[in-house]
Amino acid sequence: MSDKENTPRPGLLRRLWRAFWSPSGVLSTGFLLIAGFICGILFWGGFHWSLELTNTEEFCTSCHTMETNLGEYRETVHYNNHSGVRAICSDCHVPHEWQYKMKAKIMAVKDVYHEVLGTISTPEKYEERRLEMAAAVWKKMKASDSRECRNCHAFEYMDFTIQETRAADNHQRAIDEGMTCIDCHQGIAHDLPPGYLEEYEHVVEELAGEVRYRGEEDLAGIRSYLGTAAD
Amino acid sequence: MLNILDLLGTIGGSILGLPGILGTGLGMMTRNWFVAAGLGGLIGLLSPMVLGGSHSTHVPITLTEYAVSISVGIIAGLLGCAIRHKGATV
Ligand code: HEC
Ligand code: HEC
Ligand code: HEC
Ligand code: HEC
Repeated sequence: MSDKENTPRPGLLRRLWRAFWSPSGVLSTGFLLIAGFICGILFWGGFHWSLELTNTEEFCTSCHTMETNLGEYRETVHYNNHSGVRAICSDCHVPHEWQYKMKAKIMAVKDVYHEVLGTISTPEKYEERRLEMAAAVWKKMKASDSRECRNCHAFEYMDFTIQETRAADNHQRAIDEGMTCIDCHQGIAHDLPPGYLEEYEHVVEELAGEVRYRGEEDLAGIRSYLGTAAD
Repeated sequence: MLNILDLLGTIGGSILGLPGILGTGLGMMTRNWFVAAGLGGLIGLLSPMVLGGSHSTHVPITLTEYAVSISVGIIAGLLGCAIRHKGATV
């Protein structure tokens, strides 16, 4: 008896922790299950909803550093075209598959960090860093076989007979040699910095060494394409 | 730098994906630590196989992806098991 009076009353956190783990005396299992289920749905819906908010063009360009890209992209076919289908920032830069989407969102925390640091806060700084940023995007696209482009485009759905000859020839070649969209379509939405071909080659070489993603043939194919494209 | 971010992103994606969520859930179904770790690891192994890559591309799933997913699965299974021990009498 005296024992109980002498021990000091545990702190608030401790008491909450104990209450959290002790069996509920007043609520039935069914009540708890249904309540937990409803809270789960609400939580997940809210989570998903706010995640989608971060996929809008408004969100991306709420940082003025991203407006350079917005301006350039507005001049391209992905902004305005005869079919009226628009690809927005997240269509090309954020994967659909859940785990890759989460990964992209977590990696984007560095955008906030660099925004605070002001890494690309002036047009001069931006241009200086563009090659490096573009290379980061290329690396992701090359490694994922241009997954985001393929959410909308696919070789299988292309009618080569109505494509320009140059396009159809190159796409046939891409299928034969296992090349991916970004191998030939760099600069599809933004201006390209000088020296981009060399940098792209470097990215491909690095990936080929690192992941053994594809054989040497692939690299040779891209080299020869880049060679002819530069002519 | 990009590689560390890449790894962190992969871990985060696993925690918020099947290995983390279902791993914890399955761990909560048993009091046996080994069964819990095994179930979690199994989900970690299966989820890249089922959900990895994408419907439109044929990119091999990397070893890192498997390793991260399995590790996260095992840890989630153990966490679920700990919840069972702490929060249930059966
Ligand atoms: C907090 C402000 C901010 C927001 C919001 C933002 N960005 Fe950025 N972003 C930056 C900064 C700063 C950089 C430069 C990072 C660096 O130098 O590595 C950057 C870099 C990038 C890059 C190139 C570098 C890389 O590693 O991929 C892409 C692509 C990009 N942003 C796309 C987006 C998209 C798409 C969105 C909307 C979903 C977005 N950004 C939203 C500030 C922002
Ligand atoms: C949201 C869907 C979507 C995504 C994602 C997308 N595109 Fe497109 N793309 C379109 C549409 C729509 C058009 C215009 C079709 C038309 O002409 O009406 C188009 C047009 C094009 C063209 C033709 C350009 C021209 O000048 O006629 C190329 C090349 C292209 N896309 C490449 C890409 C690449 C490379 C990617 C990945 C980085 C990509 N697209 C991602 C929807 C998309
Ligand atoms: C071997 C290089 C190569 C590869 C790989 C490649 N393309 Fe192309 N593509 C071209 C060329 C060259 C053209 C024609 C010139 C142009 O419009 O830029 C073209 C044109 C296009 C067009 C416009 C067609 C038209 O008739 O208006 C679209 C859309 C397109 N590509 C999408 C893609 C997509 C999506 C991928 C990946 C699945 C891809 N390309 C892969 C070289 C390539
Ligand atoms: C059609 C697909 C597509 C769309 C839409 C798109 N991007 Fe990009 N983006 C790319 C590709 C591909 C690259 C890689 C560099 C290159 O090839 O130009 C890139 C590169 C970037 C970079 C790196 C720096 C640079 O200029 O290369 C930033 C930042 C960026 N995008 C932001 C954005 C923002 C913000 C939007 C929306 C306003 C957007 N992108 C819309 C395809 C796209």
